[in-house]
Amino acid sequence: MSENEKKPEAPLGEPGEHPLSVLLFSWMRGKMFLRVFAIALGLVGLASIGLEFWLSHKPIKGVTSMPGFYAGFGFIAFALAVLSGWPLGKLLRRREDYYETRSGEAGRDR
Amino acid sequence: MTVERLADWLANTNPGFFILVAALFVPFARNNAVRAILMVGGPAVALVALISAEGLGSNLSSVNVLGLELILYRPDSLSFLFGLAFIIAAALFGIYSLHRRDPLQDTTAMLYAGAAVTAVFVGDLVSLFIAWELTAITSVFQVLAPRSQESVRTAMRYLVFQISSGMLVLAGICMFVAATGQTQFAHIAPSMAGLPVGVMDINAPGAVLILAGFGIKAAFPMVHNWLQDAYPKTTETGAVVLSAFTTKLAVYALARYFAGLEWLIWIGAIMTVFPVFFAVIENDLRRVLAYSLNNQVGFMVCAVGIGTQLAVNGAVAHAFAHIMYKALLFMSMGAVLYRVGSTKATDLGGLHRTMPWTTLFCLVGAASISALPLFSGFVAKSMVMTASHADPALFVVWLMLLFASAGVLEHSGIKIPYFAFFGHDSGKRPQEAPFNMLLAMGIAAALCILIGVMPGWLYQLLPFERAASEFLSSDLWTAPHVLQQVQLLVFATLAFMLLQWRQLYPAEQPGVIIDVEWLWRRGWPDLVSATGRPFRHATRAVGASADAAGNWVSRLARQVFAPEGWVSVKVPLSVTAVASLAILGLVLAISLFA
Repeated sequence: MSENEKKPEAPLGEPGEHPLSVLLFSWMRGKMFLRVFAIALGLVGLASIGLEFWLSHKPIKGVTSMPGFYAGFGFIAFALAVLSGWPLGKLLRRREDYYETRSGEAGRDR
Repeated sequence: MTVERLADWLANTNPGFFILVAALFVPFARNNAVRAILMVGGPAVALVALISAEGLGSNLSSVNVLGLELILYRPDSLSFLFGLAFIIAAALFGIYSLHRRDPLQDTTAMLYAGAAVTAVFVGDLVSLFIAWELTAITSVFQVLAPRSQESVRTAMRYLVFQISSGMLVLAGICMFVAATGQTQFAHIAPSMAGLPVGVMDINAPGAVLILAGFGIKAAFPMVHNWLQDAYPKTTETGAVVLSAFTTKLAVYALARYFAGLEWLIWIGAIMTVFPVFFAVIENDLRRVLAYSLNNQVGFMVCAVGIGTQLAVNGAVAHAFAHIMYKALLFMSMGAVLYRVGSTKATDLGGLHRTMPWTTLFCLVGAASISALPLFSGFVAKSMVMTASHADPALFVVWLMLLFASAGVLEHSGIKIPYFAFFGHDSGKRPQEAPFNMLLAMGIAAALCILIGVMPGWLYQLLPFERAASEFLSSDLWTAPHVLQQVQLLVFATLAFMLLQWRQLYPAEQPGVIIDVEWLWRRGWPDLVSATGRPFRHATRAVGASADAAGNWVSRLARQVFAPEGWVSVKVPLSVTAVASLAILGLVLAISLFA
């Protein structure tokens, strides 16, 4: 397919699709969904920080009681966990039959 | 028997007994209706028995065996919620497994559930050990259920851990009873606020062995891999029943005997963190759930170690909520396995189009385990987090738990539903799960929401009710608490979207992830092989020399005796006659002079 040709848009309800799926999830297939969802999520996050700041009456004692600490921690912790997957995958991933080879336990059964 | 006597018997009998008895009839149920009645009816009767128990905190049934008083039924506010959760899980399993008929698996699963319920309601160490071992033996049949060569090997590895745990507990009990003469936990030590919790001194004879036995079943770090090894390899129903009982029974036992033990705080904290890293790179989604189970049990173990009333409440509430949402997540992956034949992320994606109910229930389970406000995980985990935050000495532990909370969102909140039901479209369009599976998932999902929206009833049943109600009224729904949790989850989700957009999220790849099991599945065999190599070389050299000598003799014999060999060579008659005379002469000489 050439680059100029337009890809046919995925129909909201493809043949054989469950009606509940069309009802619940078809709105997610729009082109703008991810962008709108990310913006909405960001606004909710910022609003929650603003509300926390507005509602906090106690004096700030240390980093953990600062408004937005959980937001920053959640973002960094999640990113750290995910990005650790790159080196760990290289270090720990083996082929599917790793334990089934002759030197593995299944191999010894043969 | 009159109605009063029946009610009296029901109120004074360990609820696990009813599930055990129902299980014994399951293999003889010829039609599905009878099977359904037994598999759901057994837990239902157990529930009635539990509700009608005559008094919490007293011995309702006991028997004397070999001079030991075994307390067969002693419900209290710690065992009540564990027992209730186990009974609900047994009923859910009964409904979930109605679509297929496997008398062996059904019977052993019911026996397993019955043994677990029995274990939480007995009142002494010896009875606990007996029920503990029954759970070990019956659960092995769940691992064996696929009936493949691989499942047999997995079951043997699983059995080694389960029996080792039992042996350690038995050895510890023998030492403890020999030294103290006490078996009933109500008599072992002073109780916490009237409830026998954390009754055993770690310095008592045998206590460390008992703790180690409990630790194996709770999947402590380094002995955790039996869980990730066995659970993902069983059938679609096997993983559901396995996820509910063994580890939570261990949490119950830890809370009963070792609440407040400082070691457990760190063990639990480590348990919450390390599975996060394995779950990120794991391709098999049921194995991801197994790591997630490890992580969640870590929260409970940590809370048991903290040992305050709020923390013990948190451990129990978390165990209750966890049994529901973990069963729900395993059920949804079981439905995928049943319809698609695989739970590997690389084989899945886009299943929401034809399995929307399963998707929806999975999303409820994901929201619950991620502790989204108004779902069960939030009301349960909050107590653990608050209890750890309350002690400044546990600041690092609290940070570890907070990190693990973000990790849970990654592997169970996002990865499971996203890669199975959304993500890249695999093109697979399987049928929706059978009705009985959907019904079981629907009930579990409803419970997750019910606990999250109306936690009051759960809090009322917690071991330390006053501490629970204080937390409910002054902490749980406060704006900062809810906002902080929302922030954690929203910004973690934004991190996921950013990493996906920048293609920094590691793509799912086929393969196995090596963990500590490598030590006994590859490391130990390789070590034995390497250390035996010099001997094998020597043996091979001697064998080769013997083979060469044998070959030479064989060749010589062929040359001598073969049809064309030396002894068959045609010689002139005169030579034969001379040779015959020579032999005759030799015989004559021997006979004359011998």
